[in-house]
Amino acid sequence: MNGPDGSGRPEPRLTAVPRENAPGEPAGAGTPGPPGPGTGTPSAGGREHRAIETTRLTKRYGRSAALSDCSISVPRGRICGLVGPNGAGKSTLLRLLTGLARPTGGSALVLGGAPRQDPAFLADIGYLAQDVPLYRRLSAEDHILAGARLNKRWDGASARTRLRELGVPLDRAVGTLSGGQRAQVGLSLALAKRPRLLLLDEPVAALDPLARRHFLSTTTAAMAEAEGGLTIVLSSHQIADLERVCDHLILLAKSQLQLCGDIDDLLADHLVLVGPRKDPAAVERTHTVVHATHTPRQSTLVIKRGSPLIDPAYQSEDISLEELVLAYMGAAAPAAYSRLSTVGEEQ
Amino acid sequence: MTWLTWRQYRLQAALVGGLLAALAALLVATGIPVAAQWHSVLADCAAQGTCGSLPGTVFLGSHAIGFLVIMTIGVPAVLGMLLGAPLVAYEAETSARVFAWTQGVTRRRWLAVKAGWVLLVGAVSAAVVSALVTWWLGPDNALNGDAFSASRFDLMDIVPVGYTVFAVALGIAAGALVRRTVPAIGITLAGFVVVRSVITLWVRPHFMTAVTHVYALTGSWAPPGSAWQLAAGTIAPGGARLTMLDGADVAPNVSASWVPQACQGLGRVLTCMQSAGFRQFVTYQPGSRFWPFQFIEAGFYVALAAALIAVAFAVISRRDA
Repeated sequence: MNGPDGSGRPEPRLTAVPRENAPGEPAGAGTPGPPGPGTGTPSAGGREHRAIETTRLTKRYGRSAALSDCSISVPRGRICGLVGPNGAGKSTLLRLLTGLARPTGGSALVLGGAPRQDPAFLADIGYLAQDVPLYRRLSAEDHILAGARLNKRWDGASARTRLRELGVPLDRAVGTLSGGQRAQVGLSLALAKRPRLLLLDEPVAALDPLARRHFLSTTTAAMAEAEGGLTIVLSSHQIADLERVCDHLILLAKSQLQLCGDIDDLLADHLVLVGPRKDPAAVERTHTVVHATHTPRQSTLVIKRGSPLIDPAYQSEDISLEELVLAYMGAAAPAAYSRLSTVGEEQ
Repeated sequence: MTWLTWRQYRLQAALVGGLLAALAALLVATGIPVAAQWHSVLADCAAQGTCGSLPGTVFLGSHAIGFLVIMTIGVPAVLGMLLGAPLVAYEAETSARVFAWTQGVTRRRWLAVKAGWVLLVGAVSAAVVSALVTWWLGPDNALNGDAFSASRFDLMDIVPVGYTVFAVALGIAAGALVRRTVPAIGITLAGFVVVRSVITLWVRPHFMTAVTHVYALTGSWAPPGSAWQLAAGTIAPGGARLTMLDGADVAPNVSASWVPQACQGLGRVLTCMQSAGFRQFVTYQPGSRFWPFQFIEAGFYVALAAALIAVAFAVISRRDA
């Protein structure tokens, strides 16, 4: 099901980021550290320009799999959206990439090495979990001071400035802050590490629309500032947000990878067909039908673009990111969702 | 990491420091009169040649403070629950450790620094309490010669430090395993009480082979100095050791029911039994073994603590956060 991994990509949308760095050391400011000895696995296939590469990554809890056989690849310098229904394995994937959880199968290469307990690796990873884990009785300032002592590379000044601008009190216990303010503290701390890979697990879920927009502009600004030295993976249910900032997409459903690739490539590879209601078997013979929905009169198919279409009864349209995501999610969704249209406006 | 540990624990540190200061003030204030009384009692008895009969005739100190001193037996458990149990558990249940574990320090270093400081603070606190208690009890131990008795030995010198290191390590390991503070506190308390009881009642008497002294049924003998008496009774002619079960006695170590037919009704029962081959015995650990026992016991608890800390390290480095 893997999409193409993005060679010959078109220009990015909102991100003012030069994409392709020289393999190996990114030219970004504030990234003087590793890869030291042993971190950059020297191997074929241009692994150095992959921020994330996993092979059949699997995490089981007892008999149930939270993530199975997930093989993804994210080039460096990208903002990658991570979407999927609740329980699809998004948080599990992010936790495996940070090293907080260990895989039960497969392997992951993050910034060229396996996630591990090593200061050099930990210094390169910024992570913000869904529940924004912080010391509730300590203030934002305490966290900033702690970060300065726990990290060799630390930009506390920018975190303070950012939080002051947002009106987040630095001296109050973070447990007493609102969910949105806490998320801002969490993001500021994650950014203050000056990571080379930033993993954000539903960071905007607690934010109001305006704060969400600001949050997203902060991440894109950080991307611009890092000049290609930063890769972000951002999980969210807000497809419109992801569309605005992301240039790469990972879609998980039912603990399995559905899609992974450059968003422009993914959109170019899929097509919406609208036509009179009939059995899609004819289309299925020549094309991969991702998802089909039917009203009494018409059928809507999301297909992978392939050989030219034969049946002139269908009208073909370009697909939007939301339609693409919903089509793949719908294909893996429980029966109750099967009649929902995933294309166009909801009637 | 040290800074974060201090920032997190400064409330507990203030609490422990405050309690230690209060205890120190109380014990020093009451201990100085006790020491003065002891010196004047000694001077008087030396002048009158009555020092041999001092025990039982002189009372040193006060009952209320004496009770407080006995209560310091709980200090290691309290330190284990207050400092040890929340160390891993609190950050696990609030998931705050995800913040700490995604900074530029490894989990092992995180645990090493936190556990190191907390164990050190626990040990120093216990040492302070123990030093105060040892000093406070000094005159009374000298008077009554019971420093080695189970209720005194456990409060004095180095064993309280061993107990505390063990209790704190138990709290850390329990917290790492159950990942919730309140259950970790419960496990710490229960585990500490069980281990302490088992060691004190069944293991400590056998640290070194006890000495048995056998003497005439008509004689009297007590182990010299601060000995720890484990058993006393009568040896029957066949070699069976008989110990008193009830108060129906002919003499302190001789039950009426043991008196053989031939000696019953005689005016001099004990002489008759002595001739028949009965003897008295005392089994004890000599007072000179106080320090060897202190070191054996403290070393045993420190070894247990080391094993528990190893468990905590294994758990946090292998389990998912």
